[in-house]
Parts: sequence; C-alpha cells; structure tokens
Amino acid sequence: MESASSLSLWPAFLPQPAFDPFLGFALALVFTALVGEVLARRAILPRVSGYALAGLVLGPLVTGWFSEVELERYRSLVDLALALLLFELGVRLDLRWFRANPWLLAASAAEAALAFLLSLGALLAFGMDWSPALLVAAIALGTSPAVVMRVTAELRAEGQVTSRLLALCALNVAYSVILFTLLLNLSRGAAGAGWLQALWQPFYLVAGSLLVAVLVVAAFALLRRLFNPASEQGVVVIFGLLLGALAILAMLKLPPILAPLLAGVLVKLRDPRPQLWARHFGSLGGVLVVALFMFSGAAVQINHFGTALLLALAVTVARTLGKLGGVVVCGRASGLSNPKSVALGLALLPLSGVALLLAYEAQLADPALGAEVLPVVACLVAVFGVLGPVVTQRALIHVQENRKGEET
Amino acid sequence: MSLQAFSASRALSIGVELELQLVNTHDYDLVGAAEDLLRLVALGDKPGEIKPEMTDSMIEVSTGVCDNYGMLLEQLVGLRDTVADAARKLNIGICGGGTHPFQDWGERRIVDRPRFHHLSDLYGYLAKQFTVFGQHVHVGCPGADVALYLIHGLSRYIPHLIALSAASPFVQGHDTGFQSARLNSVFAFPLSGRAPFVETWNDFGAYFEKMTGTGVVASMKDFYWDIRPKPEFGTVEVRVMDTPLSLERAAAITAYIQALARYLVVERPIQPAEDDYLVYTFNRFQACRFGYAGTYVDPETHWHCPIADEIDASLTRIEQHAIELGVDHVLGRLRQAVREGRNGAAWLRERHAAESSLPEVVMAQCTRWMEGEVV
Repeated sequence: MESASSLSLWPAFLPQPAFDPFLGFALALVFTALVGEVLARRAILPRVSGYALAGLVLGPLVTGWFSEVELERYRSLVDLALALLLFELGVRLDLRWFRANPWLLAASAAEAALAFLLSLGALLAFGMDWSPALLVAAIALGTSPAVVMRVTAELRAEGQVTSRLLALCALNVAYSVILFTLLLNLSRGAAGAGWLQALWQPFYLVAGSLLVAVLVVAAFALLRRLFNPASEQGVVVIFGLLLGALAILAMLKLPPILAPLLAGVLVKLRDPRPQLWARHFGSLGGVLVVALFMFSGAAVQINHFGTALLLALAVTVARTLGKLGGVVVCGRASGLSNPKSVALGLALLPLSGVALLLAYEAQLADPALGAEVLPVVACLVAVFGVLGPVVTQRALIHVQENRKGEET
Repeated sequence: MSLQAFSASRALSIGVELELQLVNTHDYDLVGAAEDLLRLVALGDKPGEIKPEMTDSMIEVSTGVCDNYGMLLEQLVGLRDTVADAARKLNIGICGGGTHPFQDWGERRIVDRPRFHHLSDLYGYLAKQFTVFGQHVHVGCPGADVALYLIHGLSRYIPHLIALSAASPFVQGHDTGFQSARLNSVFAFPLSGRAPFVETWNDFGAYFEKMTGTGVVASMKDFYWDIRPKPEFGTVEVRVMDTPLSLERAAAITAYIQALARYLVVERPIQPAEDDYLVYTFNRFQACRFGYAGTYVDPETHWHCPIADEIDASLTRIEQHAIELGVDHVLGRLRQAVREGRNGAAWLRERHAAESSLPEVVMAQCTRWMEGEVV
C-alpha cells in the first residue's frame, strides 16, 4: 500500500488524510485473526493454519496487500515472536530424558538423517544441482517450532507423543540451522571464498549463540529472585530479556534462532522445577503469533511457483517418508507403540517461519543460490504451513493427548 | 447368584495393592501415560503385578501373597524400582498421595477395558472423579467366619488407619481442610460404606443372595465398602487408606494391620455388636477431617479421646503380637510418627507453605516416592 494521493471528493478546507502504512498492518492483523477463528470454529482447523492461509492471501501471491518491502519492515516483530516460541520450546526439551532413554536420541537422529537424505535424493533425482539441493534438504529436515508450540498449546496436549514431539522438534531446529549454516558456508568455500572462513561460520554460530544463551540464562536466574516469572510482570521481564538478546544477536550478525532455543534448554537444565511462566505469553504473545504466521504466509511470492512446485512435491513425499521411517524404526525400543510412532512422525511435518528465514539467508549470502533455494522452500512452507498444523492437530487428537477440544 | 466359597489361605499372610499417580514432568499435572508405562513394564519380570486402573493416569501395583513384613517390603521395593525405571524412560513422574492436588477430573480419560467402560456408563462423572489413589491391604483368614469377625474387629480401627495414611488435603488446587479428602470421592458411590453386621459366612451368603436377587449387585466387586471380604483370595481387604507418600509408610501400615489382625484373631478381645456401628461414621469423618487430632468415640465405653492417643494405646495393646511378627521396630517408628503428628497430609501442607506452588509440591512427592526413604 502506498500512501494515497489526495482524494478528489474530500473537502478542501479539511486537512488531507494520508494513509499510514500501519493501518494496513492493523487491518491485515484483524483479518488474519478472524480467518483463524472462523476456520477454527467451522472446520476445526488449528488457528495457525488459518493465520497462514490469511497470510498467503495477503501476500504478494494473491492480493499483494503486503509487498516485499513491507515484510522487511516487520522483520523484528517476526524475530521476537519466534524467539519467544523457541525459548518456550527449549524449556520443554529435557536433556536428562536422553540419558534415561538413549533410543529417543537415536530416533531423533534417524528421522532427521532420513528426512535429509531422502529429500536430497529426491531433489537430485529431479534435476537440482548439488549446492541448492543440499541447502533445501537441510531446511527440509527441520520442523516448525512455531507450529508445534502453538498447536500443542491450543490443544493443551500432554502425553508421550506430545513430549517427544516437542523434544524432537527442538533438536530438529538445532540440526537444521547448524547443518544449513555449515553447508551454506561450505558451498561458498567451494566457490572460492576460503575454506577456513567457511568452516569458521558454523562454529561462530554455535559458540556465539551459546554465549548469548548463557547471558540470557544468567540474567533470568538473577531476575528470578526478584520477580515471579509466572506473573504478568514476569512475562514482561522475559520479553525484555529476549528483546535484549535479539539486539545482541543482531550486533553479532547471528541468526535469532539458535540462541533463544539454547537459552530455554539451559534454563531447564539448571532448574528442573516446573517452569510455568510460558502459559502467560497469552495476550502479547498471541498478537505476535498471529503476526508471525501472517508474515510467513505472506512471504510466499508468485514467481516462486512453476518448476519449484514439482521439486517441492518430491521433497514433501521424501521428508514425510523419512520422518515416519526414522521415528517408527526406533519407536518400540524407545518405549512408544507403533500407532503412536506414526502419529509422532506425522506431527513432525510442519514447516514455516524458520524454514523461510533460512532460505532468505541463503538469498542474502548468494543471490544466485537463493534464486534456486527460495522458490522450493516457499512452496514447501505454503503447503506445510497450512496443512502441516492440521496433520499435527489430528495426530495428537487421534492418540487422545488433547485435553481441550474434540474427545474421540 | 450365590456367594463364592471362601478359599483357604495362610492365616495372617499379607498382600498390598497401591494405586499410583502418573504425572508429566513439565507442569506435574496428571498425564495419560498408563498404557505406555504398562507396555514398558510388561517386558521385564517383576515381583507381583502392575495393572491399569479406572482412568489413564493411574496404575495399580500389587504384591503377591507375603508371609511377613520383610518379604512384603522386598516385593514393594522391586515393584517401585520397576515402575520408576520405566517412568524415567518416559520422562514422567510417579508418586503417592490420595488425590492429585490440582487435576481437573473432566480432563481424565477412561481406560479401554470393558469393566471400566461399564462403570463409566453406570456412574457417569463419578467414574472420572474416582481418579483417587488408595492402598488396599489383604489379610489372610483361617476361615470364613473368622473373616467376618476380623471385619467387625478391624472396623474399630478404621479411624486409626485413615489418620496414619491420610495424604489428600488438596483437591482442584485448593486446601480442603480435610486430611483425607479422597474418601469423599469414595463415599459418593451408592454401594460404599460398610459390610452388614453378620457373624457367620452363611448369614453373609444369605445377604449376598438378597442383594444379587434384587439385581442391585452382580458380584463382590460392586461393593465399595471400607473393609470387604474377598472370598476368591480367602482374605479381608482393608480399602480405606490413601496411598502413602512413601513405600516405607505403606509397608508400615500393612505391618500395623497384620499385628492388629493377629491380636484380634488370637485374643478375641471384643464381642462385636450391631451397636458398634453407631459411632462408625462419626469416627471415620473425624479421622478424614482432622487426622490425628480427630475425636475417637469408643463404641463400648463411649469415651472420647484424640485419635492419636487411641493409636498409641492400640500399639501398646498389640505390642506382643508385633514382636511375634517381627515388626515391633516398624511399629515403634510409627508410634514416633504419631507422637510427632507426622503423616502425608501434614507433609504436603508443610511443603505447600514452603514452596507455595502446587506443581512443585507434586515434584517433591515424586522425588519422595521414587527415591525412597527411611520410614
């Protein structure tokens, strides 16, 4: 939306209105929230599917309500929303569980590895070059933390499949980001940017994110003596901490994905007591979530379709098989029945914000590479961003782990 | 349908069933992990049995028939270690306690077994509300008529057992003021209460035939009495205790019941009468509400005294039998606990005052149960 020129019917003696672009954002937000609500009630779809769908409609793909320039402007909002959800997700990952149940870790490695290899195979088979194929496969092995957190929160889900879903999702985010960074820099190294610098980047990513995470945890521990995280004031403090962390990450030129996740994991590792503050991300968190999914949907653009669609479909099948296969193979040994393993594999399918962020990073680093990676990822996000949450929701309801909503 | 014959069983042998809570380690609410846990424990071998209960966040562990306290404690520890290992693999917690302090009964799911579906259909919301956790103790009887004598004799000690085991002060996030609020869920069932006053197995059989004749009950399992005969095992089953917060207390209470049973069967110190039951519900309420501080009315002398004093006196009365059974040291520790006012409900209230968050109290419960303690 550009600011409007003067309206011919407006009386001359009144001041000329100028459209504030913020109005466009506000209207879009209301539209998105309504779509989410209506679809949730009528079609029993998870709200985030509705938000993603609304985002698709609002983006340059359909109506063009949001242009690419607009999306950049709201980037920090998206980052904060993701940081919140990643922090919450990190707290749900209990590293002690892997000591008691090593097969669970094996299941995680298996499903990520299989999803990566099968996606890579599919892309190469359909004619993509090695470099972009590796990057897309690294993105495809991931699981959207935002979708998983929101769907489980909406269902108030608890149980074996839910806990494993959250744990494996957290690990997938870490695998995806680190592997992607490694491969991106290796391809640039291969292209002549220098091998040492290429290997330094992923190391810097992990070390830098860990450092920022430790700072966040230290600040959290200090402040926890002064306030109760479960109160409303506590939530404001956590928001502030994460905003601060995001600022530092931006200064250090680090992506805002790994650090909040690690911070959450470290908080839980330090203090195994029930961390109940996450529930209170309610109002402000809710707004941020709507915005996050809206922008994820809106980031899909029309020139992304075409051959990319075929490749995306191939990856869809490949990663579904990979995730299902990996989880089911290790399922029984890790204490999960086969039906529940299948539900877990399906629940791991959503792809959304993080995938897009990584794809855009590829584009920034190497526009030629990005031009091949982004369309496929955008298609994947369009599909898995709208349908993925539905699959996750239905899987959790099928294993009866929802405490709110349908009871089968 | 006529009553099953009373099986033979070793006199004063004991067995314990404990209903346990399954909680997730995120917010320590109840979690429907029974099916997954049972599948994991089915693989190994263990002393006794592990079974599902009414809703999917409960499991029941039961020992076999034990001759003495030592054997019982060994089996209980073996069962605890089995379920605790499985629980750690699933990242859930297991704890005792009569109720879960803040669970919402509406969120519970009925376990997929025919009997539980039948009970759910019949009793409606009472079935889900029956997500309470109790200890059942079986005592072997040398004969059917002795079983009835034991039932009437042990009925006088119901308040003692309730006070010793009480561990359910919190329900739906609030302090109920009761030491054992669990029993209020039990009393809601129409067939709860106590056995009729009959003194011979034939008379009991006649009563049972009348009840089945009216179609009100189909089997002994439909009675939710505080003390119930179990003809197929040849035992009487005391069902009134909350699951204690530690295995050691559960074993100690079982030892107390065994010594009481020996005292009653050997010495025959009382002559049961129908009038004994005039004070029964009052005494039981006092124990549920006030625990050790409740009032105990002696059915014969009509004297009032605090339940704590009554327990102390009973421990003195049965001391010789405790020595014969080899549990006098256990009962000595129990006496000390009574004198100090220590039971599950007191501990839970203390922790809540210190931690001021019920999820953290449940976490402490899990640590206490899974890691064990001395008394």
